[in-house]
Amino acid sequence: MNNALSISGLTKTYADFTLDGVSFDVPVGSIVGLIGENGAGKSTTINAVLGLIQKEAGHVSLLGKDTLDNETKEQIGVVFDGSNYPEILSPRKIDRIMKNVYDSWDESSYFRLLEQFSLPPDKPIKQFSKGMKMKLAITAALSHHSKLLILDEATSGLDPVIRDDILDMLLDFVQEEDHSILVSSHITGDLEKIADYIVFIHEGKVVFSKPKDELMEQYGLIKCGAAQFDALDPSDIIAYRKMDYEWQVLVSDRDAMQRKYPKALIVPTTIDEIMLLYVKGTTQKQTTQKGK
Amino acid sequence: MKGVLLKDLYIAKSNILVTVVSLIVLGLGLSFLLETGALLVLAPAVSTTAVFISITSDAGSKWNKNVLTMPITRKRLIGEKFVFYILLAGLGFIAALIPCCILMPTDTAITIDSLYLYASIGISAALFAGGISLPCAYVFDPEKSQVVFMLSFMASTGIIVGLVLLTNLFLSVKDHMLPAFSIVLVISAIWFFLSYRITVEIYQKQDIN
Repeated sequence: MNNALSISGLTKTYADFTLDGVSFDVPVGSIVGLIGENGAGKSTTINAVLGLIQKEAGHVSLLGKDTLDNETKEQIGVVFDGSNYPEILSPRKIDRIMKNVYDSWDESSYFRLLEQFSLPPDKPIKQFSKGMKMKLAITAALSHHSKLLILDEATSGLDPVIRDDILDMLLDFVQEEDHSILVSSHITGDLEKIADYIVFIHEGKVVFSKPKDELMEQYGLIKCGAAQFDALDPSDIIAYRKMDYEWQVLVSDRDAMQRKYPKALIVPTTIDEIMLLYVKGTTQKQTTQKGK
Repeated sequence: MKGVLLKDLYIAKSNILVTVVSLIVLGLGLSFLLETGALLVLAPAVSTTAVFISITSDAGSKWNKNVLTMPITRKRLIGEKFVFYILLAGLGFIAALIPCCILMPTDTAITIDSLYLYASIGISAALFAGGISLPCAYVFDPEKSQVVFMLSFMASTGIIVGLVLLTNLFLSVKDHMLPAFSIVLVISAIWFFLSYRITVEIYQKQDIN
């Protein structure tokens, strides 16, 4: 089994949105970041993978299995935005419940993680902060020997300190070579820190699925004026955007571009900028009217 | 199923406790004014309110979405709610039966026949009401479900009256009270089971967002 999760041609249609043939893989031992603006289809993809919504077409393979049976679910930890546990419960009560839900529930690991993250076992969840609730949800997801962790916007709305703690938890988890993570987020900075691959979804379609290092080390942003922009070969341009005083042009190989356009200012780019250029920029070059 | 049932018990614990204690106290307290056994008519249905507390809590915390990512099937999740409903109806029945048993030696109005009659009416009412309200809880939003829950008790009374009148066509209910209400009880049990199967069918196809 090379992939912990393999999705091909996943399709789901709603009245105002279509998830259109989404395909990507989560290789075993890697962290895959699923990015995209709100409403791009990240949660729909995850919900379809988890069998929460009925897919119209496509194929999903989880941990080498084509059907999502209870045996497979035992090995998957899922965390959504929010704790999704009734607020009246305490971590200790959750332990008692989970012991009867998961055959592989590891009570000692659960309480060790609670202690590690300073979560009081007998305090009702309603008295927890958002960060504590999220840590509890991740603790529960990690306490049944999961091999695949799926997180849907789990870090949104959290402060940088808590987010950093959670990212450390994820990095710890993936130290085991057969552990993998699919994490959706629109906080691309977090994914820059931990992801091995980035899958970008826009308007229900996968725009790209690439190793993060390729994006960070090879992609570049040409910042230029109108004349320089007009001189660019359209085949070199992935996307571009007109700003107040300059043109921003996304290119896939900044070293090659620097050789081709020695006078151009080409800077490394962030995932945020790549996403913005794809979403708000133009992908087909049109010549400018100079001076405009 | 045990884990999900335990979660519901944690959520509804205080409500269950209040209901059980109230039924016992009411049964003993009202024995001077009313026939204690009559409480058996109300007790099973009244004690099922905790199910709807748990369903509302589930909707608020998106528990169902969470639990369906665990080794729990949709069929099992629905089955647990129906089992929880029956357990609560049974608990209400036992709570109302306790004062009857205490007073039975001194109160000649409490007989096995009268207890059976009241119990069969009470349990039938609870099963008919649950058979209506539980599927609706998975189709409608929590607010509408609450309305259906309240209306279901009225509907169940109407169904029981209708069935008794129907039975009267081929069996004199006045002369055969116990067999007539036994028929109603059996029909209510079948109704409840069919309702479970229908709810499972509906929920299997539902998108959980």
